[in-house]
Amino acid sequence: MTTTTPAHTIAAAQDTGPGAAPVVAFQNVTKSYGAVRAVDGLSLELHPGETVALLGPNGAGKSSTLDLLLGLRPADSGTVRLFGTTPREAIAAGRVGAMLQSGGLMEDVTVREIVALGCALHPRPHPVEEVLGRAGISEIADRMVNKLSGGQEQRVRFALATAGRGDLIVLDEPTTGMDVTSRQAFWATMREQAAQGRTVLFATHYLEEADAIADRVLVLNKGRLLADGTAAEIKAKAGARRIAFDLAADAPVDDTALRALPSLTSYERHGDTVRLQSRDADATVHAVYALGLYPRNLEVAGLGLEQAFIALTEAEEAK
Amino acid sequence: MPTTGTLQLIKLEITRALRNKKYLFFTVLYPAALFLMLGGTLSGTTKVMGTELTMPAFYMVAMASFGALTAVLMGNSERIAKEREKGWVRQLRLTALPGRGYVLGKTASAGVLSLPAILVVFAVAAGVKGVRFDAWQWLALTGSIWAGSLVFAALGVAIGYLASGDTVRPITMLFYFGLSILGGLWMPTANFPQWLQDICEWLPTRAYAGLGQAIELGGAPHLKDVAILAVYFVLFTGAAAWLYRKDSLKA
Repeated sequence: MTTTTPAHTIAAAQDTGPGAAPVVAFQNVTKSYGAVRAVDGLSLELHPGETVALLGPNGAGKSSTLDLLLGLRPADSGTVRLFGTTPREAIAAGRVGAMLQSGGLMEDVTVREIVALGCALHPRPHPVEEVLGRAGISEIADRMVNKLSGGQEQRVRFALATAGRGDLIVLDEPTTGMDVTSRQAFWATMREQAAQGRTVLFATHYLEEADAIADRVLVLNKGRLLADGTAAEIKAKAGARRIAFDLAADAPVDDTALRALPSLTSYERHGDTVRLQSRDADATVHAVYALGLYPRNLEVAGLGLEQAFIALTEAEEAK
Repeated sequence: MPTTGTLQLIKLEITRALRNKKYLFFTVLYPAALFLMLGGTLSGTTKVMGTELTMPAFYMVAMASFGALTAVLMGNSERIAKEREKGWVRQLRLTALPGRGYVLGKTASAGVLSLPAILVVFAVAAGVKGVRFDAWQWLALTGSIWAGSLVFAALGVAIGYLASGDTVRPITMLFYFGLSILGGLWMPTANFPQWLQDICEWLPTRAYAGLGQAIELGGAPHLKDVAILAVYFVLFTGAAAWLYRKDSLKA
């Protein structure tokens, strides 16, 4: 870092060819709070134009990871680089826009005033009216910030995160407090941002959002990266498939025989309906027939991202 | 040189402070009202015990200093502690605003508001109590009281980073009343027991009022007062910087 000028670094980072600095690079990053290891030897890279979802149960280290990424807290060990520089330098250069749950807003000012401040603080700002429009808050621009609903506050935070031309947008649970319509509008805006070549990283607990929007999913548990791939790859990694069928009312079978089916990871029976999860659906279904049963309405399907996520984290907990 | 972003923040800080009626009352009107109450009943020729100053002249400097102190101390400590708790400070750290920009913005806006506090007391003293000084004295009084308030602005920043949103008010009040009373901003300290006077002599508020009193008597501020204020300024600024850095590691 002795000879690298900021201009040089920015030029290098915008080059998407081989050898270009990744948008985000964590190298063996560790962060503890007292005895709790929130981030544990985390290494990952994000590349230009990716839309990445960060998933994990509560306490998995998502917020800590975002704090480290944004330079809000220092890592105990390892390095965090954004565009080949420190998080603070990247933010000061206007390359990063971030929207955090914990980010408060200034009081006794109007929505327009706080957004105008966000634009004034950005090295490469967009016009204020444009930012208001994109965040869908033009109609409430003259309202006082402390009189807003939770969803409206979220949109003001979004406006602050997109006040200028950045290259990376970081969003922590961005749609919390929004109704379904605003949520859809929000993600439509986000897709536009990604289409313009921006990297979008978002933490969420709505797994359907991750499934529908992200082209890459990171699963975090206990501060470690559990899985990293497309939503489809994550589902495949979880391995299990769902099997459901109905039994004839007079089927000569008890629960014990069904529970003993091979490769099962879960078993449920409600009356005549049986729902299974299996690591090897072919073997399980074969064994069902081998029991002399004639299952009706047989369905075999892959897990949703949500079930895959639960399966992955439960497998990790069991270790 | 502050950036345009920092200037915009200062502008917005002033705008919102002017919207806050309570803050305006306590900083701009309250000291002048207190001047009329405390100094109003006494004659303009009685000398204040232990000084060569008349009652109105003594209280004019005391209340102008008190008003400036209120504006910068309360303005900084309470708002910084509250905004740290609400996460606004964290939000600002996600912008290109330099780390110092926030504190600079707060102090600059408090400084802008402390000026009317000083001038209103002067206007009331001259208009209602007939206090008269040379033009240079008025200017020197304004300048020294205004500049001296920086010491307490730094103290306000330190308290703002030390206290939580819940504890900031009592802690600020402790410093506020303690320094105002013991520093002789509300009444002359000549009646205090000797041991207390020995302590009071070294308080920043005592030195602060001393600046204006020296000018009123036709001289330059005493070197001792200036030195005491300088030492407190370094002390408070150092504490504020240290607490700020500590806070930004855990924000």
